[in-house]
Amino acid sequence: MAEVKVKAQPPDADPVEIENRIIELCHQFPHGITDQVIQNEMPHIEAQQRAMAINRLLSMGQLDLLRSNTGLLYRIKESQNTGKMKGSDNQEKLVYQIIEDAGNKGIWSRDIRYKSNLPLTEINKILKNLESKKLIKAVKSVAASKKKVYMLYNLQPDRSVTGGAWYSDQDFESEFVEVLNQQCFKFLQSKAETARESKQNPMIQRNSSFASSHEVWKYICELGISKVELSMEDIETILNTLIYDGKVEMTIIAAKEGTVGSVDGHMKLYRAVSPIIQPTGLVRAPCGLCPVFDDCHEGGEISPSNCVYMTEWLEF
Amino acid sequence: MTQAEIKLCSLLLQEHFGEIVDKIGTHLIRTGSQPLRAIVHGTGTSLDQVKKALCVLIQHNLVTYQIHKRGIVEYEAHCSRILRILRYPRYIYTAKTLYSDTGELIVEELLLNGKMTMSAVVKKVADRLTETMEDGKTMDYAEVSSTFCRLADTHFVQRCPLVPDPPESAEAQPPPPAPTLSINEKDMYLVPKLNLIGKGKRRRSSDDDAAGEPRPKRPKQTAESKEPMPDDGIYWQANLDRFHQHFRDQSIVNAVANRMDQTSSEIVRTMLRMSEITTSSGAPFTQPLSSNEIFRSLPVGYNISKQVLDQYLTLLADDPLEFVGKSGDSGGGMYVINLHKALASLAMATLESIVQERFGSRCARIFRLVLRKKHLEQKQVEDFAMIPAKEAKDMLYKLLSENLISLQEIPKTPDHAPSRTFYLYTVNSLSAARMLLRRCYKSIANLIERRQFETRENKRLLEKSQRVEAILASMQATGAEEAQLQEIEEMITAPERQQLESLKRNVNKLDASEIQVDETIFVLESYAESTMKRS
Repeated sequence: MAEVKVKAQPPDADPVEIENRIIELCHQFPHGITDQVIQNEMPHIEAQQRAMAINRLLSMGQLDLLRSNTGLLYRIKESQNTGKMKGSDNQEKLVYQIIEDAGNKGIWSRDIRYKSNLPLTEINKILKNLESKKLIKAVKSVAASKKKVYMLYNLQPDRSVTGGAWYSDQDFESEFVEVLNQQCFKFLQSKAETARESKQNPMIQRNSSFASSHEVWKYICELGISKVELSMEDIETILNTLIYDGKVEMTIIAAKEGTVGSVDGHMKLYRAVSPIIQPTGLVRAPCGLCPVFDDCHEGGEISPSNCVYMTEWLEF
Repeated sequence: MTQAEIKLCSLLLQEHFGEIVDKIGTHLIRTGSQPLRAIVHGTGTSLDQVKKALCVLIQHNLVTYQIHKRGIVEYEAHCSRILRILRYPRYIYTAKTLYSDTGELIVEELLLNGKMTMSAVVKKVADRLTETMEDGKTMDYAEVSSTFCRLADTHFVQRCPLVPDPPESAEAQPPPPAPTLSINEKDMYLVPKLNLIGKGKRRRSSDDDAAGEPRPKRPKQTAESKEPMPDDGIYWQANLDRFHQHFRDQSIVNAVANRMDQTSSEIVRTMLRMSEITTSSGAPFTQPLSSNEIFRSLPVGYNISKQVLDQYLTLLADDPLEFVGKSGDSGGGMYVINLHKALASLAMATLESIVQERFGSRCARIFRLVLRKKHLEQKQVEDFAMIPAKEAKDMLYKLLSENLISLQEIPKTPDHAPSRTFYLYTVNSLSAARMLLRRCYKSIANLIERRQFETRENKRLLEKSQRVEAILASMQATGAEEAQLQEIEEMITAPERQQLESLKRNVNKLDASEIQVDETIFVLESYAESTMKRS
């Protein structure tokens, strides 16, 4: 019976058998098998038959063809994918592959075209198809509003695409920013007030009127006016806009690593301040705010003698 | 001299000195320095009138003369000095706050007359003060003189340059075509030793006065005017630079008070007062002052301890405003006031305030952002200011069209292709300040014109009311009855009275507005001057 054993594999001309064997092998080596491995397993099968079997498996979508530095690899495809891909053809699978690789940043349709070398019309058809099958979705980029990037349906788009906490559905949330702006300012103002009323020696007074960015962040989180989770950097950008409004000033002090709220060994402190001058004299006259200032001269259509703005202003 | 400045000078000269002076003055501003003949030829007025007009202008320090080569005397008008006429009310008010009514009247007389001798000033001021006082009281010359001396000591008034004494040599040199005036630095504030004895006199010699008092004084007055005053030839003028220094100090102190608290502003005021005489007006920093000196010079009412003072000084030196800096540690810490930085901050705050009032607070945010960060791309502006892209673009272009912000191109490729160039927004503070200065000049010119227009419109009414007042006064003097007075008063109807009231109110409002715009001019001009001097 050893003879029978030696002659273990009768030449299996049956292609289905070959395919099944290959699939078993793939299951054994989930990372993929090279052509060499198949050859070793089934030495008696001719190269042509092997190739045919592999092609059949590929076209049925049960096998994945990958390229590695040693050569070609064949890998078993996940079973649920084979269910999805039923009815799709090669091109769609290719496009799907490319989109999957782009991860959560998404990929633009022109880039898909470059990678797959397919004509534009084909790409569009395929994308529409995939979208209707709910496999991919289009996400509008916040940077260029006409650009659409595609990504897998169940992925969360990345921050750079949606713009982070300030954007919701590609719309810049101005009211949200305004509300946060006012809340931060009120917090800093009340802190300065209490510090001023404490009337202790000036050093303590000034130091207690400062609030670190961490404190402000905690206060805003506790207020709970934001549905989105806000980080300390977000709060710092809001505080920066207050600085550009001239209502707040900032100093940076060196802080020990480990104190709460310190970043890289320093902390940012903010303080509410009042402007250093009253509104200046020019804007108290109507000429300072006049929109037709350059057209105004004596004897013309618009002149100081018949200026409507001056007449109104004089009647106050 | 920009068009706006020339127009404003012309309006001021016309209002204060009349048509002819206005013509001559404007001609001189436009054409620079000119000899007498050229002025006569250029303006087409007679030689006599030109001479008189030049006399008026020189008396008020608005025109100076110089001897050029070949012995030709050329006259030059100073546009900036003419614009100071707008600021006279502010100077007078400052003198009033510092030296009360006496000081106010002294400065007023000096400004209105250009140059005066001390004795003339004292006499006039005493007379004016006596009139406002109650019956029977008079103003003593000594008091007025002492106020005058104090004004001279604090450099608010100074001596005018004199003709130097001719050399003792016996050679009879022909007199030069025009005297060269010079004055020694230390003589500038030297008050001559005068023995002014007397009291102010009332102008009206009505019978209600104490009998006998006016009469013996009158012959004495005429006798006095015949003797030459001992200080003849020593003329005094108001020192405008000193007043400007005072205004600058005031705005710095106010800024510190707004940013920090009252005590810090008092400390800064003390420091500025101590450096009044020692620092020249154009210097970027004051002289270093030690903390001990400051402690000794604090005003009497402030009893804060030395440590508290030190703490305040440290806080001032560390403040982001950077008005006060620490320059050393001797004497308990040497502190200087950074005048250039203070002026720059005030000017920038003025610019920001103008942008805010004209365009809104979001534009102001963008303006402050670009001011602080110096150069920014469009995308960066949107990100930092947290303003939606479309609105931010709109606002930037509006500021660009008003020339408050400018674009700086940085090409990536030698062919400057627009898609491959960086466009950075930046604020050029000096040019923005100058542009707004021009706008201020034009605004004041507009306000003056409107005021003149309003007065012209209601001229008829004003003349009528003046006539009625004259009639009333004369009738009261001759003792008319109540009924007759009532009748005369009713000549002005109620709506006319209302019109007069509103006219008065409007004219006052326009006047006040001129002074307010002048404050802006002061800040921007000081900043421009200080920056030019530094660079």
